[in-house]
Amino acid sequence: MVINTGLHVSQSLHTKTLLNVSTIKGTVKDATGQTLPGVSVSIKGTSIGTQTDANGQFTISAKVGDVLVFTSIGYAKKEVTIVNINALFVELGTDARNLNEVVVTALGVKRSEKSLTYSTQQVAGSELTNVKTDNLVNALSGKVAGVTITPSASGIGGSSKVLLRGNRSLDGNNQPLYVIDGVPISNGGNNFGQPGDAYGGNPEGGDGIGNLNPDDIESMTVLKGGPAAALYGSGAANGVIVIVTKKGKAGKTTINFSSSASFDHKAYEPAFQSRYGQTSAGATTSFGPAISSAPDNLSQFFQTGNNYTNSLSLAGGSDIAQTYFSYTNTTSRGIEPGNKLGRNNFDLHETAKFLNNKLTVDGNVNYITQTLDNSPALGYYSNPLTGLYLFPRGQNIAPYKNFEGPNGTNGVPTENWPFQEDIQQNPWWIINRNTNEATRNRILLNGSVKYEITSWLSVQARGSLDRTNDVGDQKYWAGTLAPLAAPNGNGSWNGFNSTNSQRYADAIVNFNVPLKSKDFKVDGLLGASITDNTGTGLSFGPGPQAPTLFGLFIPNLFTLQNIEVAPAGSNNPYGSNVSGGTTYEDQTQAVFGSANLSFKDWAYLSVTDRVDWSSTLAFTPTYHYSYPSVGLSFILNQMFILPQAITYAKVRGDYASVGNSPGAYQTNPVNYPNANTVTFNSTAPYPTLKPEITKTYEGGADLRFLNDKLSFSFTLYKTNTINQTIGFSPLATSGYGSGNINAANIQNKGIEITVGYNMVQSKQFSWNSQINFSRNINKVLDVASKIGIDSIELTNSSSYVSEVKKGGSYGDIYGQTLLKNSSGQLLLEADGTPQKGDFVKIANPEPRFQLGWNNSFNYQHFSLNFLVDGKFGGQVVSVMQSILDSYGVSKAYGDARAAGGVKVNGVGPDGKAITTVDAETWYTAIGGRNAALGEYVYSATTVRLREMAFGYTLPVNKSVFKSFKLSLTGRNLIYFYRKAPFDPEITSSTGNGLGGVDIFNQPALRSYGLKLDVTL
Amino acid sequence: METIYRSIKHKKSSYYLAALCTIVLGLTSCTKNFQKYNTDPSGIANKDVQIASVFIPFEQEIMYSADDGYQVGQNLNADIYAGYSCPPQFFGTTLNNMNYVFVDNWNQEAFNSIYTNLLGPIKNKLAATGVKTTLPDFWAVALIVQVEAIDRITDKFGPVPYSAIGKSLVTTPYDTQQSIYQQMFAQLDTATSSLNAFITANPGATPFVNSDVVYAGDYTKWLKFANSLRLRLAMHLTKIDLVTAQKQAEIALAAPGGLLSDPSDNAAIAVAGQNDYWQITASYTDNSMNASIGTYMVGLKDPRLPVYFTPVDITQGPLPAQYAGKYVGIRLGTNVHSKPLYSGFSVYNYNTTFLVTSKETVMTAAEVYFLKAEAALRGWTGAGDAQTDYEAGINSSMSQYGVSSGAAAYIADGTSKQTDYVDPQNAADNIAALSTITVKWDPSATNEVKLERIITQKWLAMFPEGQEAWTEFRRTGYPKIFPVVNNQSGGTISTQIQVRRLSYPVSEYSTNGPAVKAGVALLGGPDNGGTRLWWDVNKGNF
Repeated sequence: MVINTGLHVSQSLHTKTLLNVSTIKGTVKDATGQTLPGVSVSIKGTSIGTQTDANGQFTISAKVGDVLVFTSIGYAKKEVTIVNINALFVELGTDARNLNEVVVTALGVKRSEKSLTYSTQQVAGSELTNVKTDNLVNALSGKVAGVTITPSASGIGGSSKVLLRGNRSLDGNNQPLYVIDGVPISNGGNNFGQPGDAYGGNPEGGDGIGNLNPDDIESMTVLKGGPAAALYGSGAANGVIVIVTKKGKAGKTTINFSSSASFDHKAYEPAFQSRYGQTSAGATTSFGPAISSAPDNLSQFFQTGNNYTNSLSLAGGSDIAQTYFSYTNTTSRGIEPGNKLGRNNFDLHETAKFLNNKLTVDGNVNYITQTLDNSPALGYYSNPLTGLYLFPRGQNIAPYKNFEGPNGTNGVPTENWPFQEDIQQNPWWIINRNTNEATRNRILLNGSVKYEITSWLSVQARGSLDRTNDVGDQKYWAGTLAPLAAPNGNGSWNGFNSTNSQRYADAIVNFNVPLKSKDFKVDGLLGASITDNTGTGLSFGPGPQAPTLFGLFIPNLFTLQNIEVAPAGSNNPYGSNVSGGTTYEDQTQAVFGSANLSFKDWAYLSVTDRVDWSSTLAFTPTYHYSYPSVGLSFILNQMFILPQAITYAKVRGDYASVGNSPGAYQTNPVNYPNANTVTFNSTAPYPTLKPEITKTYEGGADLRFLNDKLSFSFTLYKTNTINQTIGFSPLATSGYGSGNINAANIQNKGIEITVGYNMVQSKQFSWNSQINFSRNINKVLDVASKIGIDSIELTNSSSYVSEVKKGGSYGDIYGQTLLKNSSGQLLLEADGTPQKGDFVKIANPEPRFQLGWNNSFNYQHFSLNFLVDGKFGGQVVSVMQSILDSYGVSKAYGDARAAGGVKVNGVGPDGKAITTVDAETWYTAIGGRNAALGEYVYSATTVRLREMAFGYTLPVNKSVFKSFKLSLTGRNLIYFYRKAPFDPEITSSTGNGLGGVDIFNQPALRSYGLKLDVTL
Repeated sequence: METIYRSIKHKKSSYYLAALCTIVLGLTSCTKNFQKYNTDPSGIANKDVQIASVFIPFEQEIMYSADDGYQVGQNLNADIYAGYSCPPQFFGTTLNNMNYVFVDNWNQEAFNSIYTNLLGPIKNKLAATGVKTTLPDFWAVALIVQVEAIDRITDKFGPVPYSAIGKSLVTTPYDTQQSIYQQMFAQLDTATSSLNAFITANPGATPFVNSDVVYAGDYTKWLKFANSLRLRLAMHLTKIDLVTAQKQAEIALAAPGGLLSDPSDNAAIAVAGQNDYWQITASYTDNSMNASIGTYMVGLKDPRLPVYFTPVDITQGPLPAQYAGKYVGIRLGTNVHSKPLYSGFSVYNYNTTFLVTSKETVMTAAEVYFLKAEAALRGWTGAGDAQTDYEAGINSSMSQYGVSSGAAAYIADGTSKQTDYVDPQNAADNIAALSTITVKWDPSATNEVKLERIITQKWLAMFPEGQEAWTEFRRTGYPKIFPVVNNQSGGTISTQIQVRRLSYPVSEYSTNGPAVKAGVALLGGPDNGGTRLWWDVNKGNF
């Protein structure tokens, strides 16, 4: 059996022996060896065609020299030239681009790719599982143009910030809406939330999307722009990620087992000096005498992280009913001891047809349990890395593994640590005595009923429930440093138990108007939906009145009854230790409609409109708001005769406006009891509050060349987000301490380009390659100039301010720089201490452009996938480096001192030039918590080998196995380019502040793994 | 869209359309719960607030917001300018209030917090509940609290917003200081008549007992406080409007219900959390004895000295052993460039007097006796005899601090005087005593000397309430407070005349620009620390 591609037709013609029409038989399988039913098989250039049967087999009448074309949704189109009459064996590769032929759009509606007037990009489930990650959205990185993924630095179980086309909202969420099988789900984390400032100290709160099992996902479609998302309304203003989960398939039952093990190491560590020791006995700094070597204290602490994921799925069914069931267990540990993640995912998906296939019922149950222990805190507080990194050079940290000292006056052990600084504690004390735990139980129920009334009209009703229960706590044992725990020294405790539910229901009428004219087609939908979010729960903690935190009464007895309610000697009682009852509800109701008009299959017009009624607008004159979208596209290759090389050409353009409901409780603030009194709320009511609106213009083209081997797509867009809710301080004499106003105009402009090349050379070898490029330019056109506010601070610490300022761009980082005179000389004190200036813009972490290059090679039974991912431009800052410098532990300090001091171009107060400054003087002046952070700005450009998977498929023909594949995988393997002392991609917080700053972040991880996929 | 509707109708599918509309209408008529959803269930609506439950934060706000509000709102302006306090540190900025360069965010706290947390909410929310007519007794107390609060702001800045508070989020016009004083007297009129009516009708009733951290609901004491406050405010006007001063003082002196007359009548607030003086002294270690009060109390052999202050603690700082047990203060404006340099000097006595739980006194019976003494000096009706009032003031203060045994000798001392100041850390700060005043009353002395004696003793008695002490220093020139060592004001504030006011916070210019500029016009001089307030007329006391 010889199969050649069309490229080799001329060679294969030499071997032809028969010209008569014969019956050609064959079997079509996918890359895993599974037979593919329903594949269409046709003879190129004729109308002769057939389909494969349930066993993937086909029969067709053809002659040698004919070219057979195999097409199937979700698989790469394949052409095979017949060279003899022997049975054919054809393997179809999955391909993301070809998935685009049918695109899952808003509300789960499937539409043909060419009828879409906007850009989308789809990723097959297999691409998410080639190399496993513990948060599945991380696997999107580099695979979709215009998507920026920023994982939290907290390692396993951490959340990820996903940005589609830039930041746009000042006070709200900038992350997209996640939709599973047509209905929105919650992406919320638990009450630990995200760090809001440099002190940090909180564990990572996780996110909702990270709970899902990538093995259950059929495909993910990224709807980047407003036009695509307009039908989803509120919440979709930042784009939508549409997830389709796996279903059972009619035909044979398949059982898949997948097992992977991966091992994580830190990808880098700070550069330390080993030349100079502790300044003096008991000192926290390392400005001391020369030493010959220093022990590797980091290796005493870090461990190899790992991730074991085992997944079993069963899929099967008849033409009438199909079932998919899967169970996945994930067991993982971080590189910091004690950090553990355990997760179990159950998924049952049932689809059935009744009443002569007119009624389709679909149901899906997902149950997820997850426990995350000792998620590492980032920032200054409760972070083991501060004490570990700052430990005086030359000293051995090993004795402090014994983290408990003698008993204190309260009869329980003290912390064994030689220093008394809020910024650092014994690392082993933190992981054993500043512990945290979070457990999540989540159920996702999803059901739909669809009835086809006539061939052109169907109705559908859906409902879903996404309920999450989070239980978590954080224990500070007695002996923990006072700023972190209660000053009474008996320890403190905080925690929560909360349940959040999102309920969604919709009813949709789909129509496809039968028209007499064959040139025109009209289809569309009308619908109504309701989304209801509720939250209940309790939290408790060490008393409400900072800075007087009250702790436990009896040391280390972590019970509610043991939390003090008032400090010793206080004037007033302080109320309950149980606080923050989190009862909450909001609701959005909507009606929406869309209509699509097409002419001769080459001109398409789409119109949508939606009206939302939002409970958060209660107490304003109107509770509702509406927003439209309109789009137009032309299929040029069907309008005109184009050069033969161009097989497909589409141009498209859109306008959309997407509304976003404002946050709750702004229109009617109430008053809160506090310490046995009631304090009148000082927030001014805002009775004319309006929703935030994002307006998008988008245009682009999709082109395919050379029989679709080469594809090229680009999109230009501009979005303006206005009417944002801006918090401001009204005049004190207004009697209000805070107020809100609708203002701001944040603009994102950009371009996205995708180029794909799909070379199938032979059965022996194939290569698919795709490049994703995107560039986004963010500009703050206005903050709230009508009330004289031109900037909003997102977060700050003593050396770092993240500010959104008119004329600047979102994420701008402000810090102090060193003062220079007009001839560029640094202004120095007589001892060389530099003078610091005002806070100025020093960095912005957003990349200028991003490039992802995704490749997949197949050679015989071997496969190789790799992804090179680059983020170019942008700057980040390292607060950590500034602190390491000021403690004298950094290589920068050691090298400078060894060189006789820091070489500078400076001038003293007497006007005399200064060329060398003592290293200690210099680094204690520019570094530290009040650093001149302008000296700690680094290029954010990073180019990396993000993913690599090398697989071998065992030849298992005619055994019990349908497929047996073994892969070696790796993530974050090589930094081809990285200038910052940390990975600029990871962030201290996936919230809106703290982007692009390293405040003792856990280092990025490098993982290697082994993966086994077996299909029965 | 219209064509679609039409085509559907055409295909007799109106049934489906009707069904859809039912669903849609069914949903959209359900917005009736939206107000419930969008009201935080963990809070209390304005209409449901029990009036009494909101009142304690208002009383406490008189001494500025919890945490460091008092420190920047009053201690680092009025208390240091009154010669009571001097911080042993420079707060990270070598140019600050201590050398006459105002730190804007300190001024901002002094200006903003009482508006935001006391005057504004009373006007926007408490008054809106109709309490003026439904509970006039309670409203009377609210009026007294407002007068006590606005006086702190206007006597720091001059013209400030008062009548138009709470009317707009973006602009509030300024009132003249004269108008503010008129409003304060009018509000005291209303308050005292309401309280008198209530006390007459309901003798002994204390409906407000659990919601009052000043007098535990004792309206008779609130009445005394209101009358005494009127006397204090009247006396502020001796230079600008002697007629009103005398008229209001005589109303106060003859007022039904009387004046504060015993230390048990003193107006003192149990603040939220910790006593502010304890906090800034013991917790922040930011508050030491000023050289001015130190030299007076040491020189006059004042029995209250060890009650007010701690002696030098050589274990806390660099002072040599010879200073142990002595009382040494810090002179304002000295070059305190790092914290250990002036640590160990005398500080407010947080061990026995300013405890975590101590109340904070805003007006004492002793002050009232000294006000009466000055009224008598001026020959006003009802003031009694100046010497009697003067000595009653000293005795009342000694009794208040439990040192009555030393009172007689103190009153009889006609020779002890303020001492010279010697700074053990920096001889450049040394300065000779400015005052030769003694304690003993001299009937033959001039009115000017008698006034210096009265005001000096009033100043010693009303410690640590620097707000009123600074006002009286500016009005009378007494006591003789040491000038700042380093004046960095660039010539806007005279070292000899000393600072007269605080400048408006920059935030007023950026957010309430036209109004503050009109306010500066009302001030009648540049917006700096050298411009005198309306009642601060540059002329003799008599």
